[in-house]
Amino acid sequence: MYDHQTRSLWSHITGEAIQGPLTGRQLKPLASMPQIAWKTWQLNYPETQVLSVPTRDGRREGISQDVYADYHASQRAGVSGMEYTDNRLPNKSLVIGVQVPAKDGNTQFRAYPLTHFTETAVINDTPNDVPLLIFHDKKSFATAVFNRNVAGDARTFSHQDRHFVEDNTGTRWNLVTGEAVSGKDEGARLERLPAINIYWFAWARYHPETSIYR
Amino acid sequence: MKNYMLILILLLATISCASAEDSEDYTDDAIRTLLPFDAIPAITDPQFVSAGAAKLDIDTPVIGVTFNGESHAYSVYLLNGHEIVNDVVGGMNIATTW
Repeated sequence: MYDHQTRSLWSHITGEAIQGPLTGRQLKPLASMPQIAWKTWQLNYPETQVLSVPTRDGRREGISQDVYADYHASQRAGVSGMEYTDNRLPNKSLVIGVQVPAKDGNTQFRAYPLTHFTETAVINDTPNDVPLLIFHDKKSFATAVFNRNVAGDARTFSHQDRHFVEDNTGTRWNLVTGEAVSGKDEGARLERLPAINIYWFAWARYHPETSIYR
Repeated sequence: MKNYMLILILLLATISCASAEDSEDYTDDAIRTLLPFDAIPAITDPQFVSAGAAKLDIDTPVIGVTFNGESHAYSVYLLNGHEIVNDVVGGMNIATTW
């Protein structure tokens, strides 16, 4: 992508300017829900506003089909074919890509393959000494990464049902919103961290030093 | 640019892919131009409707953001044709990218 003011080129994946006057500058990644079924988002955020793009004839642009469906279903990697391969995972494997906060000054990159989320929706992990909770619901495709620290200590979370988990104090959490819905910390909110759902070939290309959760 | 922020989301790896015949020197990280500027028009003046007026299918994937009590959802299928939304959510200047 480019910015209108300087026409510098920026990477979608890293947020860094890679060509032009702003080369080397870094946009700050923000936490989001990278992808989630509309029904689930609406249920959790009923006041949400929804992007709407009217066309010249007053209708909305195609919002009911995925023009990249064939690409997603294929083995093709990238827009013009691609020879580069990091064989640790198949190119088109979907992973959750996380930039682990740099507690010791060394930022780490870690990939969580979605194949780990068939029986559970949560992974408790501690890369770089940072206690992380990785959440992915295979049905709604909801994805989130949270810091497991609550009120000063690292909690351990167990999957219950869809978007709900319980920690080792018995507090129950909704992981779409990150909010404690019952238990001693009711009303508390987990710190949500930036994360992306991304094909392995792209994540590995931009972050070749990435580790993989096995 | 300092107050201009970015949300990194999924990917369609459109930025710096080598063409097949150049694959042997792909490790150079050279930038190759596949499309001219604005060939995929970014959204610079986003318009929003309420959840009830959105008329999305229940299974449509959306990107969701929530900052300072304000939430925006962007249909992924809609973003396929734009890839970037320049937006303000909860007082924050963000770019939602797909």
